[in-house]
Amino acid sequence: MVMRPVPWQTGEICGPDSAKSLTKPEVLKRDLSKAKKPLLIVGSEAVTEKHGTGDMIDYAIALSNAMKMPVIATGGAIKAFLEKDFENARSMGAMELALRLQDPDWVGPSGTGPYDMVIIYGLPYYMQWTLLSSVMNFGTHLTAIALGRHYQPHAKWSFPNMKEKQYHAVLDEILKLVGGGK
Amino acid sequence: MKKKAYFKADEAETGLGRFKGLEVRIGTIVDDEWDEPMGPTPMPNPTDLRAWDHKLLSRYHPSYMPYCQVCCLCTFGKCDLSGDKRGACGIDIKGQQARIVLAAANIGCSAHLAHARHLVDHLIEEYGPRTDLIQGAGIEIHAPVSRLVTGMRPRKLEDASIILDYCETQLAHTLSATHTGQEGSWLDFESKVLHVGMVDQVSMEIADLVQISTLGFPKADPDAPLVESGIGMMDTSKAIILTIGHNIVPAASITDYITEKKIGSKVEVGGMCCTAWDITRRDPNAKVIGPISWQLRYIRSGMADVVVVDEQCVQTNVVNEAKKVKAPVISTSDKAVMGLPERSDDPVDSIVEELVSGKIDGAFIHDHHKVGEVATRVALAVMPKRRKMKFFPSKKQIQKMAENCKKCSECIRACPNDQPVMEAVLAAQLGNFEPLREVYQNCIGCARCESACPNDYDLHSWMVVAAQQDCKDETHMVRTGRGAIQDTEIRNVGQPIVFGEIPGVIAHVGCANYPQGGKDVHDMAEEFAKRRYIIVTSGCAAISAGHVKDENGQSIYERRSGEFDAGGVLNVGSCVSNPHIAGAAIKIAAIFAKRNLRGNYAEIADYIHNRVGAVGISWGAMSQKAASIASGFWRLGVPVIVGPHGSKYRRMLLGKAEEERAWTVYDARTGDRVLTAPGPEHLFYAAETVAEANVMTAKLVLRPNDTGKGRSIKLSHYIDIHEKYYGFFPDDVWKYIRRDTDIPITLKDKILAQMKENKWKERRIIDPTLLKEQIMGGGT
Repeated sequence: MVMRPVPWQTGEICGPDSAKSLTKPEVLKRDLSKAKKPLLIVGSEAVTEKHGTGDMIDYAIALSNAMKMPVIATGGAIKAFLEKDFENARSMGAMELALRLQDPDWVGPSGTGPYDMVIIYGLPYYMQWTLLSSVMNFGTHLTAIALGRHYQPHAKWSFPNMKEKQYHAVLDEILKLVGGGK
Repeated sequence: MKKKAYFKADEAETGLGRFKGLEVRIGTIVDDEWDEPMGPTPMPNPTDLRAWDHKLLSRYHPSYMPYCQVCCLCTFGKCDLSGDKRGACGIDIKGQQARIVLAAANIGCSAHLAHARHLVDHLIEEYGPRTDLIQGAGIEIHAPVSRLVTGMRPRKLEDASIILDYCETQLAHTLSATHTGQEGSWLDFESKVLHVGMVDQVSMEIADLVQISTLGFPKADPDAPLVESGIGMMDTSKAIILTIGHNIVPAASITDYITEKKIGSKVEVGGMCCTAWDITRRDPNAKVIGPISWQLRYIRSGMADVVVVDEQCVQTNVVNEAKKVKAPVISTSDKAVMGLPERSDDPVDSIVEELVSGKIDGAFIHDHHKVGEVATRVALAVMPKRRKMKFFPSKKQIQKMAENCKKCSECIRACPNDQPVMEAVLAAQLGNFEPLREVYQNCIGCARCESACPNDYDLHSWMVVAAQQDCKDETHMVRTGRGAIQDTEIRNVGQPIVFGEIPGVIAHVGCANYPQGGKDVHDMAEEFAKRRYIIVTSGCAAISAGHVKDENGQSIYERRSGEFDAGGVLNVGSCVSNPHIAGAAIKIAAIFAKRNLRGNYAEIADYIHNRVGAVGISWGAMSQKAASIASGFWRLGVPVIVGPHGSKYRRMLLGKAEEERAWTVYDARTGDRVLTAPGPEHLFYAAETVAEANVMTAKLVLRPNDTGKGRSIKLSHYIDIHEKYYGFFPDDVWKYIRRDTDIPITLKDKILAQMKENKWKERRIIDPTLLKEQIMGGGT
């Protein structure tokens, strides 16, 4: 395991700017406290990724509830949210999102925007990479936090290819930081 | 029509005698037997259809996702284009991204065009310039793309050459636009992307037309032969020649030689990628081994006694790979010589001797007449010795080697599909090969894991060993490429397609860069075929679609009709057969709506965009060729969906459903500007999952011109698929209801409630067009 802030897929290097390494939740404190309208984006891989006794959909629900933050599920992940009777999620394609997030006036499918922060995980690595490239280059009004285990250089903050156990522990700490996980 | 033309033939048989080194320059070509009036844009230059492009591009926004924020194409740079910075030449990041998209489309088009040029020149040399071009029975409108774009109807090989002259000129223009200090606007780069995509369609159509006409391929035949396919179908009791690539000419010389010498019981030929389709179109005794991704696994198996490569999508280290299994390589194309020594002018005996003895690893032979004899004789000579050799390690050996795994994860990091290769290796340490076998199922055969491994493990080979039984079980029957769609078939289905009663035409095309194996292509095709959509396939996707058996052991091609009709699954052929799919849409306009095709691009594209519910899917799109093929469909207004790896094309073309202005069209009957539903909502879209692709496909077949019955049928499928894969009733159905007749009767209550909630208002069903000049009376 590399445990370094370098792109997880070795060829996916980026340009002059790259994400800061998220190794402890405290580094997010300032950005999270500044965020007035965050949006959580959850991809299809979250459905099968375990977290604690549940999965990463459960984590999304907990994070969303704690931050009063709407969720957009991509790639059909919406089905998993609906099966858990979670009502604050909407469905969109990752590529549709990549376009919409460039617009500072976009209010989102549930009309809760415009957003000033996106928190994202669960998409195939390279697809999240391209989506975040769109945000980094054209959605500069947004603060992007990548909560997947692997380093996403186009976010502002990203985990540095963390070991699984440590990663899930930090996720729980982030949840606590925003008042969730009780 | 007036067009300058230049024609060249090394040797030509004419009424006046035989000429060598003949060159003819013609100032004017007049097809005076064709009474169809010429449209406004014969042989358009890069800006002649700019107005049409801008209509599409104002509706479908290019959404860029830069791969890097620098430009390194000239020595001014590298230039940092991040934020609102500009490079030394003045370009900004949007312009640069569009420029890269154009570069990719140019590369793709050049590959097809050079392929077409080689075929045309070769076939003129073989058969003469006056050889007839024939697409098959039941086809009056042959070469519809060429007619539409150039205003010519190619009837002889020499006509094909003239059309390629046009394509080559256009490619030179669009390629030059990517040079430093040329085009600067992203919008005009994008317009040129569409232009070169259209040119690509023409060049592919010519390539397939000339080979169909001269090489004995099925001619628009719904009952094209079923042929054997899969690694398990190869008969190792015979010498095996593996052909890889796209250009039939060298491969045909092999099957011709085998037929001529009557040695089919001793040697057989299998193809990979599009050469596989074209070789079986010529000789159904040949076999389709697999798509592009199967190259390494098959070469490494050692089954192939000789490897013959032609052009495009060939593993570029093929010589090294084949050397490991002591299989000589013959390269045959000046585009892919592979570093091999030139032997074209040497006597066959001498080339065979050098290859059999192993003095040389391979040879470059561009004289195709020699390739067949050399490849066959070498394969027969080396086969007995090679069959005694073992090339893969045993499971025991793998288990032993795996013990030294450094657990560095580099294999996983190198894997495009993030497969758990390292965990599988660790399981193999304990003698458990099942995880390696599972990785094989999702493997695209790139072997990047091996390149990354500090222990130099042959990880891809290990996967193949673990999945040996799966390889043996790869025994399928697939229908080889039929070529064009007959006019008579179009007559039968034109109306139900345009009115929406056949809910759509879905084309599965392109490469094999699948996120989770090729089965997805089959499953998507079956999902819609069983709903009576027409499914068309080509290229590697056509192979993957056929590599799944049902409970009766049948492939999708065995259990479904090859006719262009509801529920049919028809393989048109190789990459260069894709224009038959575009051609079917174009012919609907000509046959059903009696529109003139000749040099009349914008009108026909407008017709297709508004009326023909066609969607292209390239689930494993990988190449620049796939990019140019998609571009050709975009200019016709046909949406294309790619798999998640397609996001790496780094630009989508996306509509915004709520932008009313974008979905406002003219009613051709009245000239009124009328708001329509957002259909098709997007023009280029990468889907994350099969579920998303299915939902989007069902949505993208909606067209403004659907009749009430057609719209109702399409919406029924959209709703059903949406509920099946997303788990809820779609919330945008009301937007697609124009009047009561559009409402699927069994879902009326839910839809009426949605309509009420959204303050729905009734709309007319109109005669939609984006072109003012299409309004009755000319729109003045």
